Amino acid sequence: VTGALSLRSAMPWWLRSNAALVGVMVLIGAVYLAGTAVSDRFPTFNNVLNVYEQTTDLALVSIGQTLAVLSGGIDLSVGSLISLTCCLTSGLINGNPDRVVPVVAAVLAVGTLVGLVNAGVVVVLRVHPLIVTLGMGAILQGMTLLYALGPVGRVPRSFSFLAYGRVLGLPLGATIAVVLGVIIALLMRYLPLGRQIYALGSDADSARLVGLRRTSALMLVYGCSGFCCAATGLYLAARFGVGQPYTGVNYTLASITPVVLGGTLLSGGRGGVVGTLLGAFLIALLNNLLNFMDVSKHYQLVAQAAIIILAVSIYVDRRGPE
Amino acid sequence: MSTSAEIARPAAPSRLARALFARFGILLVMPVLLGLGGLMSPAFLSTGNLSNLLLQFAPLAIVAMGQSLVMIVRGLDLSVSSMMATAAVIATGFSGSDRDVAMVVATSAVGASAIGLLNGVLVTKRQVSPFLATLATMILLQGFRFAYTQGAPSGNVPPLLRVLGAAKLGGIPYNSLLLLGLATWLAIVLHRSAFGRRIFIVGGNPVTGRLFGIRSDLITIACYVISSCLAAIAGLLLSGYVGLVDNWVGQGYELDSIVACVVGGVSLKGGRGSIWGALTGAAVIVVLANEVLLLGVPIQVQMIIKGAVIVIAAAFYTRKDSLSGD
Repeated sequence: VTGALSLRSAMPWWLRSNAALVGVMVLIGAVYLAGTAVSDRFPTFNNVLNVYEQTTDLALVSIGQTLAVLSGGIDLSVGSLISLTCCLTSGLINGNPDRVVPVVAAVLAVGTLVGLVNAGVVVVLRVHPLIVTLGMGAILQGMTLLYALGPVGRVPRSFSFLAYGRVLGLPLGATIAVVLGVIIALLMRYLPLGRQIYALGSDADSARLVGLRRTSALMLVYGCSGFCCAATGLYLAARFGVGQPYTGVNYTLASITPVVLGGTLLSGGRGGVVGTLLGAFLIALLNNLLNFMDVSKHYQLVAQAAIIILAVSIYVDRRGPE
Repeated sequence: MSTSAEIARPAAPSRLARALFARFGILLVMPVLLGLGGLMSPAFLSTGNLSNLLLQFAPLAIVAMGQSLVMIVRGLDLSVSSMMATAAVIATGFSGSDRDVAMVVATSAVGASAIGLLNGVLVTKRQVSPFLATLATMILLQGFRFAYTQGAPSGNVPPLLRVLGAAKLGGIPYNSLLLLGLATWLAIVLHRSAFGRRIFIVGGNPVTGRLFGIRSDLITIACYVISSCLAAIAGLLLSGYVGLVDNWVGQGYELDSIVACVVGGVSLKGGRGSIWGALTGAAVIVVLANEVLLLGVPIQVQMIIKGAVIVIAAAFYTRKDSLSGD
């Protein structure tokens, strides 16, 4: 530990305050270099663009999760909310191109509303967000299954453009995710409410004592998370062309990995959206590399877990000596 | 001076009552739940149904007890469900006759201890957040399990495990007898032993613990190991109950056990909780699930009710808890 500490104090300030960001970029570089040894096709521009495209869903859902974690909470309703919004999208559009715009607006509104309800329950009932969003997850999954027990609806070709389309040579969905992430990162940095979210996450008691608006901050956090889930649901509906009631189930826990890989502390108050985007990219890159190496799906899980353990235990961000 | 004593006196009992209510209030929920069940259907309070409730209660209660230990030392164990499924796969990994039960138990014990150790070391020595460390071991176990079974487990559960997991002795399931033994042992360890006091100190205030010379890392690691081992026991029991094994035995127990603990008054911030609290929380969950089933509503509505009840139960209980953040 002393070795690590002296190493830390020897770092220049910009490296020390962005150690996690630099860490995840170094890991991305390492995976990329390892990939060049595996296949000629891995390091090509086209493949990297592929990986960029495959990052979309994880990036979208993790942006919202980052805010929840930064505020000292967590959102475990994301999986069910993605399933619900995905089913609603394809079920309501049902192949009719005229309905795309109103349905997209409605689905984004539903997602945001669910997030606001989460925040409201946390504030009013004073229950930990972990429990609130867990309960909300069960409720939403039940609602999704009430709406559709199996694959439901379909989407027109024009809507699939969201998942498969390219604008200026860049995949549309992933670019939307990045733009959304950057906008939210800027809001977090320059909006007073954004700073308050950090304050809330790093010390809730002090934040209350100085009179921060906890209710508005939580509304913003969980509303954003709900919005991001709805965006993920829209994207998945566009990609698969159909809504499945269990589409989102894996995203609940998966959405937390990029957040932590990107250097956001699970205890809240430190980190950011940009790190999360890089974390999501790292995971997609790693999966892509393992595919190139013909590693079976089962061992991919093992490898992914091993790398999470390794990465996090190496550059784990400490809050300083207790 | 006497007046001030008189003024102070009435406040003391009410504070005591409030403290008692905060601690034991959840016990009031049980008679209400049981009474409601009796009103809904006479079959609910029949010995047959109650003994089935016990049968379903034991695995969750065993996992929840381990979870409560980990939560008291400021942790979370998300790997319990994966550990359960892994133990279940191990149960079918041998010949499936009673001769191999010892091997099954030994292998599960070694595996569970290793996973608990890994969790504990990551959390203490590497300061990984418990959520992430146990999430990673959960995925790790899942990967190993799928790789070993190639996605489709086969083989038989030894008859002895089936007896332990599903059979009853005069209406009382064997698994509840095992639970009774484990609960007694853990209650003594947590509430009556020096080790138990240290668990609370490490969870309540790690810095003070260190100043007292408590080896907090060791205590924390021990809690994770106990949790993994209890999860493995629950997995073996559940494999005996289900009879056949798939890769997902015990799915949902990680979150259910956390909810059980929270409902039972174990603080998410550590330092507070009890074995009987975890047991009560698990009982509330099992009884509720059974009652919703008795209502005869579709499975979707059951999920909605369960979700709402989780939040309401936690609201009822955590109202006075500082962790609610208010």
